[in-house]
Amino acid sequence: MSAPNGMAVFATMLPTLLLLVLAAVAGLLGWLRPGLPPSFHRWLGAEALVGAGAAALVAFHGVALTNGVGLAAYAAAVIADHFGTFAVLLLCATGLVAVLTSGAVQERLGSRLPAYHALVLTATAGGTVLAVQAEMGMLIVGLGIVVISLVGIVAVEKTAEAPGLAAFRSLVSAGVALALMLYGLAIVYGATGTTDLAAVRGQFVHSAPLEGLGLALTLLGLAYLVGAPPLHHWMLQVSAASTGAVAGAVVSLAVAAGGIALVRVMVSGFSATMHPWVVLAGVLGAAACLYPALLSVVAGSVRRLIGLGACLQGGLLLSALVGSGLGADGQSAGGVMAMLFALVVFVLAIQASFQAVGRLEADGIGGNMVGVRGLARRSPMTAALLSLGLAGLAGLPPLAGFLARILIASSAVAGGYAWVAVASVAASAIYAVTVLRWIAAAYVEDDELPVVAPAVPQLAGLVGAACAVFGVVATLVAGPLLYAADGAAFFLR
Amino acid sequence: MNLLAQTTSTTTTTGVTFPTLVLTAMVWSAVVFALAAILMPNQTQDQLRRIKSLGSTGAGAALFFAIWAVETQASEALAGTGTTAAGVPGGDLHEQHGWLTSFPITSTYHLDADALALAVILMVSVVFFCASLAAWHNQRHVKLLTVCMLTLETASLGVFASYDWVLFLFFWTLAIAPVYVLVRAFGPGHRGRAATRYAATSLVSAGLLLLAAVLIAFQAGSHTFDMGSTPVTLPGDGETVAFWLVTAASLLAMAVVPLHGALLDLEEDSSGVLSAIFAAVLPTLGAYTLIHVAVGFFPTTSGSYSLFFATLAVVTVVWAGLAALRTDDLRRLIGYMGTVLMGLVLLGVAGHTTIAVTGIMYLLLARGLVVAVLMLLASLIQERSRRVHISQLGGLAWQAPFLSVFWLLATLAAAGVPLLAGFAGDFFIFTGSFPAHRWATTVVLAGTLLASGVLVWTAQRIFFGASRDTFARVRDLGPLELTYLGVLAALIVLIGVVPGHFGVLFQNGAGYILFPGPAG
Repeated sequence: MSAPNGMAVFATMLPTLLLLVLAAVAGLLGWLRPGLPPSFHRWLGAEALVGAGAAALVAFHGVALTNGVGLAAYAAAVIADHFGTFAVLLLCATGLVAVLTSGAVQERLGSRLPAYHALVLTATAGGTVLAVQAEMGMLIVGLGIVVISLVGIVAVEKTAEAPGLAAFRSLVSAGVALALMLYGLAIVYGATGTTDLAAVRGQFVHSAPLEGLGLALTLLGLAYLVGAPPLHHWMLQVSAASTGAVAGAVVSLAVAAGGIALVRVMVSGFSATMHPWVVLAGVLGAAACLYPALLSVVAGSVRRLIGLGACLQGGLLLSALVGSGLGADGQSAGGVMAMLFALVVFVLAIQASFQAVGRLEADGIGGNMVGVRGLARRSPMTAALLSLGLAGLAGLPPLAGFLARILIASSAVAGGYAWVAVASVAASAIYAVTVLRWIAAAYVEDDELPVVAPAVPQLAGLVGAACAVFGVVATLVAGPLLYAADGAAFFLR
Repeated sequence: MNLLAQTTSTTTTTGVTFPTLVLTAMVWSAVVFALAAILMPNQTQDQLRRIKSLGSTGAGAALFFAIWAVETQASEALAGTGTTAAGVPGGDLHEQHGWLTSFPITSTYHLDADALALAVILMVSVVFFCASLAAWHNQRHVKLLTVCMLTLETASLGVFASYDWVLFLFFWTLAIAPVYVLVRAFGPGHRGRAATRYAATSLVSAGLLLLAAVLIAFQAGSHTFDMGSTPVTLPGDGETVAFWLVTAASLLAMAVVPLHGALLDLEEDSSGVLSAIFAAVLPTLGAYTLIHVAVGFFPTTSGSYSLFFATLAVVTVVWAGLAALRTDDLRRLIGYMGTVLMGLVLLGVAGHTTIAVTGIMYLLLARGLVVAVLMLLASLIQERSRRVHISQLGGLAWQAPFLSVFWLLATLAAAGVPLLAGFAGDFFIFTGSFPAHRWATTVVLAGTLLASGVLVWTAQRIFFGASRDTFARVRDLGPLELTYLGVLAALIVLIGVVPGHFGVLFQNGAGYILFPGPAG
């Protein structure tokens, strides 16, 4: 990688800068010109996200990747490479879905809609920092921006008590997670004398228990964002308390940013070949898969079921980490590739599920089993989207979550952790049986309640449907998607 | 990175070269019609009829391509023509395109069909077509039934035609959701429990198969999910572990004793048409996997455990035969008969000879047809008489002579009477297995005779004896029922009269399964 220079800084931070500036513009316009129509803020946010994605493509590919590897800036604290492009595009797509579906919560948010859009942009900007960081300081900065923005998004629904409470609890959980991570990184820094994540690898004494503790705490902190137990409660609370669109935005952005941070810190930074954290990731991943899957059996509402499904996806991402190093035969185990493929699929499945919840809210249908019964007759589109979303979270074919699970299990076995593969497959099976029960209730059982007229805004409905359909399309275009993931993972391996 | 890597077999006709797409058309045609059905409105009777028409057309399209594939191969086998020996993969039906080529373990869209696959493909497509006709009188959840049936057909045919693990697992798991929803929608009694039990069992099977697939892909050193290269040789205990993983998954799906509870519940707690599909198709998925993968991939290992299969065959046939004798429920009786026939498949696996495996192909073809006829007839009897228990029935032949003729025909076919479909399978399996397992073959033969005797006795109890006033208004089969039962019965007779039509094809396939490789 070349030495730091102005062009490098510009190239690596351009998407972040663009998002932060336009977030500030959106916030200021909302404050100074409250009469502007909601659609203006929506399209401003959408343009910012599309612009950031385009900037990542152009800057990373056109400028930073001229040497074929990547470009570092700020004393190698940030790196522009193929992975960064992939990650920024994923984050921008996730943010775009959140912005375009904000019409569903327009009435509820009222004058706070510009603030909501601005917070989505800042959360995405924080994610882009995580996508390009390679140093502990930048990691904390990125995580801080993401977490504060996400808590803000939940809190912005302050007209209801439940979201406010969920936001407060999320803030407390985030504080605990960030504290754990800071302690962990401090221990790692103390042991190695460097904050450069890539340099940590060379300084590490594998057998030192204190360093293992540092890695464990760092991993726990990162597990918070992807909603993996034991710090998963915030995700369940947000799923239960916030409206569908807001919960979808928060949870999907958190999983996207968390997954990206996991790859940057654990794979690109600490390296997958370092023990004992690989075993730790396996244990945490297996537990994080099984625990929400078992809880889902007694889930009493769609929101909780989806929340637990999101936690399960977090557990699967952690499980993929064990296969991110080298296989027994010296070849790449493909864990990073599996993780990136899964990340795309999971994030959009989460969005699709919560958009279906948004439709349930718009239709005035409760999210418990009584409300879901006969949904296919009362609101066919909502039933179809809910089924696709849930099936995507459960990894049922023809949804791409099925392929993601096969890839994750394969890479876990390749990494020598067949038991992690068994746990992830078992958890997926348990969750799938539960999901089938809810889908069957929507299509089979019927309490003869009246048919409801669709009330969700057209754009939000279309975007929600696109997310659900993506699950099927991703199976067909899995080859190109994996090809892109391979390109992103190539220099990380 | 090899995204564009692909190989495609081609068929040359009058100088024009085009890719072979028969299996693709066969597998996907049903689900294409299912998608069309989803988009159709379902408010009026006309709209419902259109959806039903789509269902029958979709199943008919799949049947058309299935017959095309089977007949092409059977004719080639008889004539000794074709690019390779007919009934062996890699011939005219072979399709392969790049899919997940960037991952360290590559996966391709690879479809093919050996003789075993062709046998079950023919059976499954005929059963689904007849079931779609049988479902014509249904007025409940019409769209749901049509879509789920067509999806299940695509899933079943996909399992038989897949030559890639990812694709195979995709189709295997795809079958679970429609079955679950159908049982919940149409099953009486404990339908929730039956559906959940089935889904859990099938997901466990899928999980075991996934682990086996990954193990094979890595330990074989080829880093591919392709299933086209057999036999598979794995270092250390890998071969044994993979073999048992596949065997366990297959036995769960085959519903052999003691793992038969979930399927019997499913058959008992579903409506008539669905019982026919479930009884004919779902255990066949397991039997196909056992022979195609467990035996075909690991012929030596499976041969070394032949005593296990022989013992399991004896236990299954004797247990199911005695249970059939005890039961008073008509559908459960047919379910036990299906289990007995699966016991015969296990005996054929234990026999481990070309003759026995040829017999398995005949048996699977015949078993599906016979069980489907019996289940459809059982539902018609229950629907007409409003009676579930055998002891409550009697003298129906007076009111429904056609119905009793079909029942007797299916009963005789299940018993393995010559000139009917069941004979060739029974004969080859007993002949092929006797040298290796004399006692087991004798006991299984006795058990099969017992179960067949129960079926004949049941026919006597249901149809013969004095006419009862209670059933005076029971009507005989109508034109539609005669049509779909006639199709199934005609095939049962046709296979029984000219079994030699498939003889060379099945022998080629059996040889390839037991002695794979270029010589096979």
